[in-house]
Amino acid sequence: MISAAASYARSMPGISVVLMALMVAFSIIAPGFATGANLANILSQASILLLIALPMTLIIMTEGLDLSMGAVLTLAAMTLALVATATASMVIAVLAALCVGTTFGVVNGCIVAIGRIPPFVATLGTMGVAQGLALVVTDGQIVVGIPADVRIAYSGSILGIPVPVLLAAVAYGATHALLYRSRFGGYVVALGGNREALMLAGLSVRSLLVSSYAITGIYVGLAALLMTARMNSGHPTAGIGMEFEAIAAVAIGGTSFARGNGTIFGTLVGVVTVGVLRNGLNLLGVASSLQVAAVGGLVIVSLLIDGFWSRRP
Amino acid sequence: MSVSSPPMPSTVGPSLSPEFIQVLYRLLAAAGLCFALSFLSDAFLTTGNILNVLRQASLLFFMAAGLTLVILTGGLDLSVGANIGLSACLAASVLKATDSATLAVLVGVSVGLAVGLVNGMLVTVLHIPSFIATYGMLWFVHGITFAFMAGETVHGFPQSFRFIGSGFVLGIPVPVFVMLGFLALGTFLTRWTTFGQEIYAIGANPEAARLSGIPIRRRLIAAYVASGGMAGLASIVFLARLNSAEGDIGESLTLPAIAAVLIGGTSLFGGVGTLLGTLVGALILTLVLNGMNLFAIHTNWQPLITGVIIVLAVYLDMVMRRHLKA
Amino acid sequence: MTRTTCLTAGAFLAFMLSAAHADGERVAILTTNLTNPHFQLVRAGADAAARQMKASVTHYVPSKADSLPEQMSQVEDLVIKKPDAIVFVPADYKAMVPGIEKLNAAGIPLVNVTTRLSGGKVVSFVGSNDYDLGLATGRYLLKALGGKGNVIIIEGLKGNIVSMNRVRGFTDALKEFPNVKLLASQTGNFQRLPANQVMENLLQAHAKVDGVMAANDAMASGVIEALDGAGRKALVVGINGTKEAIDAIRAGKLLATGDYGSFLQGCVATVTALRNLRGLPVRSEVVFPATLIDKSNVDRFDIPTQGRECPTWEALVR
Repeated sequence: MISAAASYARSMPGISVVLMALMVAFSIIAPGFATGANLANILSQASILLLIALPMTLIIMTEGLDLSMGAVLTLAAMTLALVATATASMVIAVLAALCVGTTFGVVNGCIVAIGRIPPFVATLGTMGVAQGLALVVTDGQIVVGIPADVRIAYSGSILGIPVPVLLAAVAYGATHALLYRSRFGGYVVALGGNREALMLAGLSVRSLLVSSYAITGIYVGLAALLMTARMNSGHPTAGIGMEFEAIAAVAIGGTSFARGNGTIFGTLVGVVTVGVLRNGLNLLGVASSLQVAAVGGLVIVSLLIDGFWSRRP
Repeated sequence: MSVSSPPMPSTVGPSLSPEFIQVLYRLLAAAGLCFALSFLSDAFLTTGNILNVLRQASLLFFMAAGLTLVILTGGLDLSVGANIGLSACLAASVLKATDSATLAVLVGVSVGLAVGLVNGMLVTVLHIPSFIATYGMLWFVHGITFAFMAGETVHGFPQSFRFIGSGFVLGIPVPVFVMLGFLALGTFLTRWTTFGQEIYAIGANPEAARLSGIPIRRRLIAAYVASGGMAGLASIVFLARLNSAEGDIGESLTLPAIAAVLIGGTSLFGGVGTLLGTLVGALILTLVLNGMNLFAIHTNWQPLITGVIIVLAVYLDMVMRRHLKA
Repeated sequence: MTRTTCLTAGAFLAFMLSAAHADGERVAILTTNLTNPHFQLVRAGADAAARQMKASVTHYVPSKADSLPEQMSQVEDLVIKKPDAIVFVPADYKAMVPGIEKLNAAGIPLVNVTTRLSGGKVVSFVGSNDYDLGLATGRYLLKALGGKGNVIIIEGLKGNIVSMNRVRGFTDALKEFPNVKLLASQTGNFQRLPANQVMENLLQAHAKVDGVMAANDAMASGVIEALDGAGRKALVVGINGTKEAIDAIRAGKLLATGDYGSFLQGCVATVTALRNLRGLPVRSEVVFPATLIDKSNVDRFDIPTQGRECPTWEALVR
């Protein structure tokens, strides 16, 4: 019994301890923290980051990295806003955003897999391209006049659960099924650290890589929907830099960059921990410069704990 | 994958090392860019503008130089911009309080070294991947800077101090001399000292380096400390150039600095690259911005053009590398 | 493990103590970044007002400068925290409106400062008129040039409403002086270094530059450094009335700056929020007239922030 519990505890990412400690501490000292409304609030806020962090985990599992996600998210959201205002159709707008996301995913995948350029460089380049396009498409102006039904994607709720949380949960479930229940997922997991074995087994690493990057486009398109709904507008710099937040969440969640092994559950915990920390500090009214340092501290502390945790017998 | 043979200085015959040829290609690209720009604008190919481009490139190079050292070891330093911000703010406050340029330089460099040391410890002793460790440090250092500055700027330095950033000697801007000094010192350090050779060896193949008895941990820490010290020095030139310090002074140049290193032919996998290449990378990026300003192209286009150049430069680099090997 | 837990607990205790000193009304002040001197003065003004009226203020600033998602999260968290009132500088005048609607629905009264929101219900707007400031500083420069010569405009962030209004003021001022030629209008992103480098490049492209209109003081400082570095002379105006600009006017480097009334904006907004809570009359709008700071009146504006007090309400809204 006890050893089973202990082994389960060891399989949890080390950051879970930090998350639990934060939850307990904030529940005691931060008024309003432990309420249903705040829980829904934290999870809604975390939903957009999770939609970026999930595909980021996937890419990091292939020993890759995608720096362009924040910029592509911004461009997709601008596209979504422009198409939504022009056609008044949410469906066409979301399809357009998915197209933008997937196009950039395929381009990234091709540059990495076929051009054999390191992912960091390839996506740093496409990041600039997406960021530039997002600014150029409206000359830096914000897009407003979004149809009312788009907004429901962030502010609506079904059976008391916010729509963004439902969307994120579906995305999480789908990612789980893809990674751990499908053959493709098995290959993706194997890409990190076992590339040679895949090649020897006669699989095309190229097409695996391209598909992995292409899939990120779907998540980014969905995140663009949530972001546009949240702001009720398309803003040309809204998502810039979010890729680093996502990468940090993945790292906090215990995914290794060198070997590409990790879990999407760890990423989920990482995303929620960042959300809980920021929310709790806001509820407490902690000075902003301390909050800035706190994020950096969390990244380092969680990795330290992870190191000690994994070295335990 | 990087195809990197340990870059021992070639001693056989007069043949140029492949790395030098790579830099030559980049210089040719920069020259081609200049040639094209000079046809498009009369203002481009003037002594004034060339000195102007050199001075702007120097600021980017100061940031990119330390980064190059870290990237050569196979790591990355995302905190370099934040480091410059903290070093600049503390140095500026000391300068303002004491009027002593020497003390300011000492403080700026010490702060830079200290941040570099923490980075090095995080990466080597605690085994945190450099990308994540320095990302955490970025925010940590930012937090300290913002708390220290409380939204104020420190401005108005003595003329003698500002000379470092905006003065001229023999008609050439002082930062350009500082840049050449950095380049010479850095190139000497990386190419002609055991320390430099060991840095290359660690980046190219850490396992082999360990087996051949190189004290990896100490060398890596030294690389991060040196990079931090360069950021500290860079902060002094930034201060002297802008005559004022604020928390986000170096922030807008962090990603361009990484881009300059990559365009300059340094491989993210470590072990391959030169400081001279980084200088050319910084020049190319500066030329692009300069050209856009001269032709009144809106700066909105800048990220797009930079992005395309990064991918193209690295792609051509790899093609050439394969070609040279063949 | 236990040591980490102890440390975490200790840190939280410290946070708790620092947060628990409220006696009067609790006002949340939202500004958009930690580095711009304007927001620092707004925060200082809010602190001074709260001190005088025995209320407590808490500041919320995004850790990533001007981040929309982060400010939106702060607004959503405040819906939970329910402060008595909010003083709010939006990171964007349109994109933050859904957040304002949430605050409205939660019944938290809100005073809008600096950047005027395009929607939502607010108790009052407190700020300056950016168009008027652009027009006034622009005119001042063009008159000083004798109505002729070549000028350059350095814009702020693209798509930013403050920058757009100020630049519109600059260009309308230019229309009144047909003999002045606009050489270029490029962005310096409201930041010193980009403005400095853009100006250095523009100086290369244009042999004769007589005047520069910068959309804020940080960029004006960058421009002045570029001119100094190139050994060129031109008249420069900025906007915001920062300490740095005031020193530059004294030194004869800057011709003038438009006073943004940053400290007073913080004062009036916070006083308005508190008077509204206490059932006292307030103004639905306080817009400070465009005032120019130049060599003639610079001393009047050179007040240290430390220990600066808010004027009385009667003097403020006169």
